Amino acid sequence: MQKKSTDKAFFSRSGIELKSFYTGDDIPDGHRDRAAAAPGEAPYHRGFHTSGYRSKPWRIFQLSGFGKPEDENERIKFLLKNGETGFIMEHDRNTADHCYNVDHPEVVARREDVGLTGAVMQSVRDTAICMDGLPVDSSFGHAGGAVVQHAPFALAAYWTVAKQRGFDLAKLPGTGQSDFNLTYLGCVTKEQIPTLPGLQFNADIIEFCDRYLPYWVPVSIAGYNAADTGLSPDQELGVLFANAVEYLDEIKRRGSVDLIKAAKACGGVSFRASIEFIEEACKMRAARLMWADLLRERYGISDPKVANLRIHCVTAGSKMTYQQPLNNIVRGTLMALGAVFGGVQSLGVSGYDEALSIPSEHAHQMSVRIQQILQEETGIANVTDPLGGSYYVETITAQLAEKAWEFFEEIQNQGGYLATLDSGWLHARAAENQYKEFMDMENGDQQVIGVNCFQDDESPFEVDGFMGTDDAFDVATARLQDVLRTRHEKAATAALKQLEADCRSDTNIMPAMMEAMSAEVTLGEIGNVYREVFGNWNTPIQT
Amino acid sequence: MQKRILMAKTGLDGHWRGPTIVARALRDAGFEVIMIGMANTDDIVTSAVDEDVDLVGLNVGGHIDVAIRAIENVRNARPELPIFAGGTITPRAAKQLEGLGVEVYPPGSQLTDIVDAAERLTGTK
Amino acid sequence: MTEATTQPLLASALNGDRSSLARLLSHIERDPSAETEIRAVLASKETQSVVIGVTGPPGAGKSSLISALLPHTTDSFDRTAVLAVDPTSPFSGGALLGDRVRMQNHGLGDRVLIRSMASKGESGGLARAAATATQVLAACGWPLILLETLGIGQVELDVMDLATVVAVVLNPGWGDTFQANKAGLTEAGDVFVINKADKDGVQQTRADLQDSLSLLQSPVPIQIFETIAVNEDGVAALWQGIKTYLADAQATGLQEQKLRTRRRRLLMRILQSGCEARIEAYCCSDHGSAQVERALAGELSIEALQADLYANISQPE
Repeated sequence: MQKKSTDKAFFSRSGIELKSFYTGDDIPDGHRDRAAAAPGEAPYHRGFHTSGYRSKPWRIFQLSGFGKPEDENERIKFLLKNGETGFIMEHDRNTADHCYNVDHPEVVARREDVGLTGAVMQSVRDTAICMDGLPVDSSFGHAGGAVVQHAPFALAAYWTVAKQRGFDLAKLPGTGQSDFNLTYLGCVTKEQIPTLPGLQFNADIIEFCDRYLPYWVPVSIAGYNAADTGLSPDQELGVLFANAVEYLDEIKRRGSVDLIKAAKACGGVSFRASIEFIEEACKMRAARLMWADLLRERYGISDPKVANLRIHCVTAGSKMTYQQPLNNIVRGTLMALGAVFGGVQSLGVSGYDEALSIPSEHAHQMSVRIQQILQEETGIANVTDPLGGSYYVETITAQLAEKAWEFFEEIQNQGGYLATLDSGWLHARAAENQYKEFMDMENGDQQVIGVNCFQDDESPFEVDGFMGTDDAFDVATARLQDVLRTRHEKAATAALKQLEADCRSDTNIMPAMMEAMSAEVTLGEIGNVYREVFGNWNTPIQT
Repeated sequence: MQKRILMAKTGLDGHWRGPTIVARALRDAGFEVIMIGMANTDDIVTSAVDEDVDLVGLNVGGHIDVAIRAIENVRNARPELPIFAGGTITPRAAKQLEGLGVEVYPPGSQLTDIVDAAERLTGTK
Repeated sequence: MTEATTQPLLASALNGDRSSLARLLSHIERDPSAETEIRAVLASKETQSVVIGVTGPPGAGKSSLISALLPHTTDSFDRTAVLAVDPTSPFSGGALLGDRVRMQNHGLGDRVLIRSMASKGESGGLARAAATATQVLAACGWPLILLETLGIGQVELDVMDLATVVAVVLNPGWGDTFQANKAGLTEAGDVFVINKADKDGVQQTRADLQDSLSLLQSPVPIQIFETIAVNEDGVAALWQGIKTYLADAQATGLQEQKLRTRRRRLLMRILQSGCEARIEAYCCSDHGSAQVERALAGELSIEALQADLYANISQPE
């Protein structure tokens, strides 16, 4: 271990200079009075509800999926059997992110990759296989659709299958994600619609859910994707709320949805829980505080049901190491602990094999077990906001919120969240941090066990990447041909035409998307409409 | 005189952290880095030929067969051209690539090692 | 890299071998003497290739515009070569060349050749080797060559020396940021493009441009086009406009006049680089370096040094 010198300055990941210990005098004046509020009371930083995890344990919610829809279905059932309390349907990213069918040349060129990151779902028939026997009415389902341009398809397919099975959409719980940070900042896709039509898509989804799916969380802004691209915790907060403001301002402009309901729709978000877990707990607390302040000050909303932010959290995939992968079980546990200290409502823990592949069955089970041990054995769920009142935690919570508002203002000065995506300004911020983090590891300022120090590994367990199934591409190809051959062609053509017309006008695209699903229109055909109507986003970075 | 390195991503996943940092380090070491982003085998081969590069760097994410196809095609077009690879490559897949004479730098590799490799493979050092 | 390799490569490239052409372009970049040699061979070859310069400030969307133009240019000219110049890092001599990212989805196969080139410290917007590279591409049968300049935000007049037609790419709101350079860019351009025309400020930018252009007296009308390159909006009209300009320029004799100017500039450039090489040789010679030392020590006046230099470099080698 490196000797730490006593005169060296210490900083948090957000660049807050840390004292060697804190006293009550350190808590900023404005925050001290508010810090006394109980959990479930404004400004909510102490937690969503007074009884916290006693009345509602956090949801164990793992990303899952690979191969064919039936492979994914089997894995989800495995996780539910092992104690997962919600489920996430992942779509194959090669096809889904780009809205390509498997016969697209860019996909064919990488056919072995198909099904590696989620099941291939090109039509409602595939989605039906993936959802077979899943408790969509009683469990909290995530339909996939993490990517903005893919979300309308993924959601409409899920809802159409649920309807076909006789479930009432008006009672259906669940979420998609439809997050800009994922493919406009984090993993920039090869082809996607520009940001403005993307904003219209999300506003359409919010409107549609407001009318037909009141229990559905229509969009979920993922600070995670911004943070795992390199933004620091304060920047993650700032960017998330800058994003929320884009949605709410658009809904306000449209005037079609009651702003309070729209705010509720935007108030289910996700954050990253990274390894500096106390600062991360402070981040979740600061997030709730900021949301309440934002809604009150900018939109005059203080309804407690709305002003109380709901947080899903995923542990930082990028902190999982390739070397000595079993160490990641410890990292996952600590990151999860930080999220729970922060009072999140829902949690996913990255697999210990994250740096090698998608999770193997065992890694997946371990992610669930970590959460169960925390819930059942540690007693952490017995008392709400266990860190509340700590001089250190309250001070950092307040300082993080302050720094985050500064970043929020910087984004506004750049023309707003979407403008900073279009210009590459946010990417530059992320790249600066990435480079610094990398150099800190390179020169040993940041020790990472097993990677740049303590590299000897005695483990008898060989962890190799999980490569899913090898027939995903072939089966998807056959199924695509089957759908195109056996569907009612006239209905499909008409539905696609209507969708195109609605894309070209101000009409909400979701009713046409639902029709297109019923008519078994395929993902790639929809993608072609997007490409024709909206063109391609001018990505500001060279990837 | 500056040596030229082609940097390509074989997958469609779009992670840009790793390749960007490596590209920057190579530029700072005096290389001309031609970045072509997510590229299929044809793009990679055409770029390797038209840009007359001295080294190909592949960022691999996903299935190793996709990378192997790219490597074989580059070899057909320019048999003498050295290739190195980084990204999410499992230990098993890394052995396959090394068997093909491709050096592998998995996550957690030091930038100095990657730059050293580039200098060695291009005969700069 | 001497004649031994350059000559056979040139022969093979002129024969249509693509990888020889690629290697030849590297020779030109790396070795000024190879460049001189190639130019000597090509001097006698008359080519009809059209060279379109694409210039404008960074981030204006030059690469995206070129990408969107490729289907049109290959439609009219069958094949298109693109030479894209990016800046060299002044610190390391390395460079990040990323223009291909936006250009490679053309789906036109071998009918398009893209070559990235580092500026290697040239300030005029193009790399030193760009002129010879353009000549080589033309001689190797590429009927249309698109030259993308650095876009470092300064006036990049080098492109005027090489291009048959120069397209200046700007964005709405350009007038606010690039006021100072306006005059320079307006003089460089034959065709103007307001790209990203879905952003606010198009009308203002068009009005500003028209004001500046009204001061010029071009024999051929200079047009302003609006495009959204990523959607391909307005790109067909732009291509039509460029073709019209080319036809008009030919009809009015403007093209001939530009060609003469261009040849003259190239000639001057060759003379200059020859002189520079001789000065360099003089300074490195025993006699020359001693003279320079004397001048530095104040024992020899600058005028006397100059006279000695001229006397020595005018000697045949």
